[in-house]
Amino acid sequence: MKKERSKKYRIIQTARILIQTLFFGIFFVLLLKTHFPGEDYISNVEAFFHWDPVLALTTTIAYRALFIAFLPAVITIAVTLILGRVACGWICPLGALHQFFSFVFKKTKLLRPKKLQDNHTTWKYYILAFVLVSAVFTLDVVGFIDPFSFLYRSFVTGVLPAASYGFSVLTGLLYRFNLVSIGDTFAQFFENLDVNATFLQGFFIGTIFIGLVLLNTTRERFWCRYICPLGAFLGLASRWNILTLKIDPDRCIECGLCTIHCQTQANPYPNEGWRSSECVYCFTCSAICPTDAISFPAKLSHERIESVNLSRRRLIFSSILGFLAVPFFRITPVSMRASEKLIRPPGALPEAQFLQKCVKCGECMKVCPTNAIQPALTEAGPEGIWTPMLNMEIGYCDYYCSLCTQVCPTGAIKELTIEEKNQLKIGTAWVNRNRCIPWKFGDPCIVCEEHCPVSPKAIKFLKIEVQRPDGVVKTPLAPVIDLDQCTGCGICENKCPVVDAPAIYVTSVGESRSEKNQMLLDIIKTEEDTY
Amino acid sequence: MAVGGALLHLPSRLFPQTKAYPDLALIQGDSPSRITKEAVATLGGIKRFISKGDLVIIKPNIGWDRTPEQAACTNPEVVKALVELCKDADAKEVIVLDNTINPARRTYARSGIAKAAKEAGAKVPYPNPHHVKKMAINGEWIKEWDVYTDFVEADKIINVPIAKTHSLSRLTMGLKNWLGAIDGPRNQLHQALDFAMIDLANFFKPTLTILDAYRILVRNGPQGGRLSDAELHKTVVAGVDYVAVDAIGATFFGIKPEELRYLDLASQKGVGRIDLEKLNIEKRTV
Repeated sequence: MKKERSKKYRIIQTARILIQTLFFGIFFVLLLKTHFPGEDYISNVEAFFHWDPVLALTTTIAYRALFIAFLPAVITIAVTLILGRVACGWICPLGALHQFFSFVFKKTKLLRPKKLQDNHTTWKYYILAFVLVSAVFTLDVVGFIDPFSFLYRSFVTGVLPAASYGFSVLTGLLYRFNLVSIGDTFAQFFENLDVNATFLQGFFIGTIFIGLVLLNTTRERFWCRYICPLGAFLGLASRWNILTLKIDPDRCIECGLCTIHCQTQANPYPNEGWRSSECVYCFTCSAICPTDAISFPAKLSHERIESVNLSRRRLIFSSILGFLAVPFFRITPVSMRASEKLIRPPGALPEAQFLQKCVKCGECMKVCPTNAIQPALTEAGPEGIWTPMLNMEIGYCDYYCSLCTQVCPTGAIKELTIEEKNQLKIGTAWVNRNRCIPWKFGDPCIVCEEHCPVSPKAIKFLKIEVQRPDGVVKTPLAPVIDLDQCTGCGICENKCPVVDAPAIYVTSVGESRSEKNQMLLDIIKTEEDTY
Repeated sequence: MAVGGALLHLPSRLFPQTKAYPDLALIQGDSPSRITKEAVATLGGIKRFISKGDLVIIKPNIGWDRTPEQAACTNPEVVKALVELCKDADAKEVIVLDNTINPARRTYARSGIAKAAKEAGAKVPYPNPHHVKKMAINGEWIKEWDVYTDFVEADKIINVPIAKTHSLSRLTMGLKNWLGAIDGPRNQLHQALDFAMIDLANFFKPTLTILDAYRILVRNGPQGGRLSDAELHKTVVAGVDYVAVDAIGATFFGIKPEELRYLDLASQKGVGRIDLEKLNIEKRTV
C-alpha cells in the first residue's frame, strides 16, 4: 500500500491556519480600534461578543430579557448544528492563540503530546452547567470565564499595557542612540494607537492569562479542552452535525498518530470512539495520517453517534454548586451600603441589574480616553470583580465623551448620547479642607475650578481667612462644591496638585443610577426658591 | 532708538526697508483667516518674521476638549492662516503643538485645529513625552522646569493664544499660553501663576504673538461650555511685544491692563509695554 499523507487535507489545514490568523487579526484590529475615533460616535467595535451564544444565553437568563444585539449568536449555533465546532477550530481568536502556543510548545518539546484515555474533557460541561444554573438565580459569572471576555480583558488590562511599556522603553532607546526621527515616528505611531497603559489589576489579570497559556505545555489547547464553557455549549450543539470522521480500515495502519496529535482529545481512533462534541475540525488527524486514511465525508443522516459522556451525578453536583454559589457570592455589604469608591461609568444600570448584565469584558476600559475605567477588585463584592469602575487618580470622565456607553456589548452601560450623559451624575466631589492648599495654607491654587468642565462651574469660591502656622493671615479664594452642578466627573481630583491623596475627590454618593446612594432630601422646590 | 540709530550706519542693502512698523495690529472682520493674514501684513508681512528654511513652531491653545464655537481653544482658521503664511515664506517645516489638558487625541480633533493645520501643510504631532527635558528657565522665580524641547529647537516661535477669562489670572491670553509648552507639575505653578507666566514667556520669547479674539470667552473660563459663555468679537491682534498684545486683549473684557497683576508686573520689570495710549496701534476692519 502506498504510504502518503493527504494533500487535500494538508491544504485544508493550511487554509484553516490562515483563516484563524485572519480572525485573530480581525479581533486584534477591532481591539486596537476601540478608542476615540476622532468623532463622538464609534462603530460596532464590540460586534464579536454578539456571536457568542453562551454570553447571549447567560445574560438573557440572568437579566430575564432578550437581547436583539445577540442575534448573530443564533448563526453561531446554526453553523455548529450543521458543521460542528468549526467556530472553535477556525474562528475563535482565543482558540487560535492557544493553538499557536501549543504548536510552539510542541516544537520546543515543552509539550509532548500523548494518547489520553481520560474523560477530563467533561470538566467544561460541568463549568457550563455551573454558569447556567447560577444565571438562573441571577448570578452572572460567565464574564470570568467566557473566552471572548477572558481574551479581551486580558489583552486590554495586561498584554497591551505590558507591550506599551516595552514600546516606550524601545522608543527611549532610539532617542538615546540619537535616532531622533525614527524615535519620533515610533512615538507618534504609539500615540496614535491610544493604548491605555495603566491598570490596577493588570498584573494579576495578565498573570492569569499567562498561566492559562502556559497550561498548554501540559495539554494541547488546555483551555478549549477542559475549561471553555462556549466550547462545551457548542460541543452539545454539534451532536447532529453532518461532518463525521471516517477512518478507512483498509488504509489505517493503527499507528495512533491521529489520536496523539488531536488538538482537543476527540479520539479519532478508533473510529467509533471519535467524539464529535470534542472535534473542532482542525483536520490535523487527516493531514497527519501517514496513509491518508481519515476523511470527513458530509452525510445528512447517519447512525447516532456517541453524545457527550457526562456523569449525571457530577452534572447534578455542579448544578447544585452553581445554585449554592449565589448566596456565597452575596455575603458582602455592597447591597447594604454603596461603596464610596465604586464609581460606575455613566449610563451604568442600577447595581443589581448592572451585575446581571456586565460580562467583565473590558471594552469600556479600552475605549476610555483617559484610562479612568479600571477593573474593580473588592469594591463591588465578589460578583463585581473585574467590573468597571472609575479611578479618578488615574483618569477622569471626559465631559464630551460617551464612548464607554456605546461599546458595552450587553448594555450593562446603557448607550447614551453626549447630551444624555451630561444629565447624569456618577458621583459627587468633596473638598478635603485639611489638605486643600488655599484652605490649609492660604496660597492661591484653583486648579480644580479651572478644570471643572460644567457651565456654570460646579466649583465655586469662598473668600476665606486662613491663619498659617507662622501666624500670617491670608485671604485666598478657596473651593466649595455646588452639588446641583457637580456630575462627579473627577477631573478636579485628577488634576489636584496635592499628588498623593488629592484634596478634592469624588465618591459615589449622589449617583443618578441609584435610589439608595443619596444623601440630600429630594423634595419639590417651591416657587419662591430662586436658586 | 539706539538700535535704530546703529542700524542706519549699516549698509542699506542689508536693510532695504527701514519703514517703521506699528507696535500692534488690531484687525477686525468676518473671516478669521483674512483678519489673521491682514494683521501679519500690517506688521510688515510674514517675511519680516519668518525666513526661508526656518523651522517654525506654532503654539495655539488646544488645551480643551471643546469645539471652536465654545471658544476654549484657538480658532482653527486662525491657526491655518498662520501655517499658510509660514509656508508662503518658505519655512522648512511648520509644527503645531500644544501640551493639552484633556487627552490630546480628543482636543486636537474636536478643536478642529489638527485638521485645519494639516490641510495647510503643517505637522501636528501629539506631545511626545520623550521630548520633555528639564531645562534652565533662569527666570526671576522659576529656575528650571520640564520643557517640550520642540519649542526650544525651533528657529521661530509663533504664539497663538485665544482670549479667555480665568479665575486666577483673571484673563488668559499670550503669557498664560506658555503653560502648554511645558510639562512637569504645572498645576503647582498656580501658586505663583503671575510670576510663572512672565518667566515662561521670557524663556520662550515668541517671534510673534497673534491673539485670537474672533470669539472670546467671557464667562466660565478657561473652558466655557455653554455657547453663551463665548462672545463673537471678530478681532485678531498681532504684535512682537507679547505684553502689549495681552494688554490690548484685556481691554476687550473691559479691563485696564494695569488691573491685571501679571501685566502690571511685566511692565514694571520692563518685559513689555502696557501703556496702550502711547503705543502705535494700527486698527482696521477688513
